[in-house]
Amino acid sequence: MIRLERFSFTYPGEDQPALSDLSFEVPAGQFYGLVGPNGAGKSTLCYALAGMIPHYFKGTLSGSLTVAEIDIAQSSLGELAGTIGLVFQNPFNQISGSRFSVRGEVALGLENLGVPRDQITDQVDETLEQSGLADLGERSPFALSGGQQQRLAIASILVMQPAVLILDEPTSQLDPVGTSEVYALLHQLVGQHETTVLIAEHKLERLAEFTDNVLVLNQGRLLANGPPKTVLTDPLIEEIGVQPTRYTQAARQARARGLILKKDEFPLTLQDAQEFFDDAAV
Amino acid sequence: MSTPTLYLPRDSRLHHLHPLTKLALIGLAIVAGATLPVTLWVIAVYLLILMPLAAWGKVLPAFLRSSLLLIWPFALSLTLIQGFFAPGEHILLQLGPLSLKLEGIQLAADYTARILVWLSAVILLMLITRPDQLMLALTERGLPRQIGYIILTALQIIPRFQQRAETILDSQRARGLETEGNLVKRLRALVPLVAPLILSSILELDERAIALEARGFTRAGPRTSLTTLKDTAPQSAFRWLSLIVMLLLILARAAGWMTA
Amino acid sequence: MDRLKREFSTLTIVLIPVAIALNIAIGTLVLNLKVPLYLDSIGTVLVGALVGPWAGAVTGFLASFVWTLTGLFPQAIAWVGVAAIIGALAGAFRSGDWWEKWWKSILAGLITGVIAAILSAPIAAYVFGGVTGSGTDALVALFRATGLDMLGANMAQGVVSDPIDKAVTFFIIWAILRALPGRLKARFSGD
Ligand SMILES: Nc1ncnc2c1ncn2[C@@H]1O[C@H](COP(=O)(O)OP(=O)(O)OP(=O)(O)O)[C@@H](O)[C@H]1O
Ligand SMILES: [Mg+2]
Repeated sequence: MIRLERFSFTYPGEDQPALSDLSFEVPAGQFYGLVGPNGAGKSTLCYALAGMIPHYFKGTLSGSLTVAEIDIAQSSLGELAGTIGLVFQNPFNQISGSRFSVRGEVALGLENLGVPRDQITDQVDETLEQSGLADLGERSPFALSGGQQQRLAIASILVMQPAVLILDEPTSQLDPVGTSEVYALLHQLVGQHETTVLIAEHKLERLAEFTDNVLVLNQGRLLANGPPKTVLTDPLIEEIGVQPTRYTQAARQARARGLILKKDEFPLTLQDAQEFFDDAAV
Repeated sequence: MSTPTLYLPRDSRLHHLHPLTKLALIGLAIVAGATLPVTLWVIAVYLLILMPLAAWGKVLPAFLRSSLLLIWPFALSLTLIQGFFAPGEHILLQLGPLSLKLEGIQLAADYTARILVWLSAVILLMLITRPDQLMLALTERGLPRQIGYIILTALQIIPRFQQRAETILDSQRARGLETEGNLVKRLRALVPLVAPLILSSILELDERAIALEARGFTRAGPRTSLTTLKDTAPQSAFRWLSLIVMLLLILARAAGWMTA
Repeated sequence: MDRLKREFSTLTIVLIPVAIALNIAIGTLVLNLKVPLYLDSIGTVLVGALVGPWAGAVTGFLASFVWTLTGLFPQAIAWVGVAAIIGALAGAFRSGDWWEKWWKSILAGLITGVIAAILSAPIAAYVFGGVTGSGTDALVALFRATGLDMLGANMAQGVVSDPIDKAVTFFIIWAILRALPGRLKARFSGD
């Protein structure tokens, strides 16, 4: 569904590329995570996947990037809207503000796509239901909590039924409850609608729980591409400045202090950790 | 925190009129207030047209409160400035070199009545019309939709910006910035107060633009709309009639057909 | 036409409502600071300086409608033309290097203030009978007492208050422009 071949991008006036020689593929219906330290290029990659690079941010491109069979560089933002969805951190900036109700805000994308009114109504209702916003439809978008606003931002994209959904740290401004709400929604989406999802995220535990595969980015380069269990417990990610989960850290410290392990893998989640320490012997 | 508009949702016939019909009604009152030659007639527009309309729309208390709150500073200033400085013969009160004259008071009353009519007509329109429906009506008639976006978004983000301004004010005060004291100190306090607010607003614009682009804002081709506005043939006829009456009033005034 | 299209990119379209919100948020904040300034066109001047005269004019124009719609200052629509011209002037000062030096920006602000005062006076005099219903009416009374007629007194009042306000506004925007990376600025103007 997403395919990059030797893709590189440099922002105008910079000498270092922000994305450098990336090649990978994301199969349809998969849930992918994207991790990397600050400045690694996660946001840049998200923008490129959604066509904001090169159609909104200019710069120098090389290699190829296709999403849903579309050559991004040859397309336009108008054509890509509705096929590739993009969600990012700050809900306040994503809410257009030009609609006075949650329903109206969700409908905006479909109105721009010229979808007939009856169909808009159906799709909006369905999406509100799916995102748990059905009871808030007539509220002002600005009267919602942070978690609700971020679900509204996601709903406003989902309503266009994109084949691919790109999310750039969508939970970084949310509390654990808001974060759980967002992940529950994404999980359901991948399961039921076979949407292909790629999410940049600092909260590794969530990636461990939900994703099929994780990409590791550092200084614009792809360092690893594999299942969360292997990639996220690899000491490599700590070396580049990504903090492993507290379970991985605890197990690593325990081993350093002489804990003898039967398993060779490090735990990623609470459940892993319980099994891990059950097996361990001093 | 809600959108800072005057709109009051009410279940009234007036509320359910097409926004352009309301606009025509209000336009009629404004043009009448500006062109009628006699002060009393102008006051009659307020008493006999605007107030009954407000009552019909079930917003009379709010209408009276807003329009009177708005008009009294004008009334006061006009009475003093026109009363004392407009030329006239009939002296009512002599205060040293200054004299309060009847002609000045009459002029002040005339201006006050005209300002009252047009400002309260605008207020009435806002009390009974949702801004988003007004913009939708205008967009349907060919106003560029970017204008609707700009006005409605500005309205809705104001509270957030006011809140940010307050936060910056508080934090700068906590750091010892002088917002009290003499004038020079207060002026010097302005730059560190407003610069962070403006700079941070500029830096988030890319996200706002991208969010719109992701939703097809610049897509070529026709648009549809979730909401529809109900319009009727009588309303459309009324709007045309209002337009003609407004033009006649302006013409009559300009040609001097209407005199006191 | 080309200039118009360049000025109204999506970036400008999202800038304008933010600029209008800045006018209103800062304008109402300054009221409480008890300084003899308004700063209620600071966003409009920002758009003019950053993007150009057309975008500046549109911002001033629409800001007047928003002031009216909020109910905070319904009479704003009477001044819509003046507000648009302030934005257009802030944009016009982009040619020449008026925005390059702090003292030139202050000079540009003073000029804008004088023009705004001259254009505002007839509106105050003929639409509002020479008053605004605010503290500056005391100045109008003072100038009337010196023998000026209503138009003259309003112009004199404007020339006393407006240029200072616009000079401070332009100076703050000069400081903002200096703080912004050049590449970002270039993206606004499309130059
Ligand atoms: N508009 C831009 N112009 C020039 N350089 C940019 C721009 N945006 C980002 N960069 C640079 O590109 C690199 C990658 O930035 P990016 O924002 O993609 O990183 P990130 O992984 O998302 O970081 P974070 O975790 O902080 O969000 C950084 O060196 C950054 O300074
Ligand atoms: Mg980022």
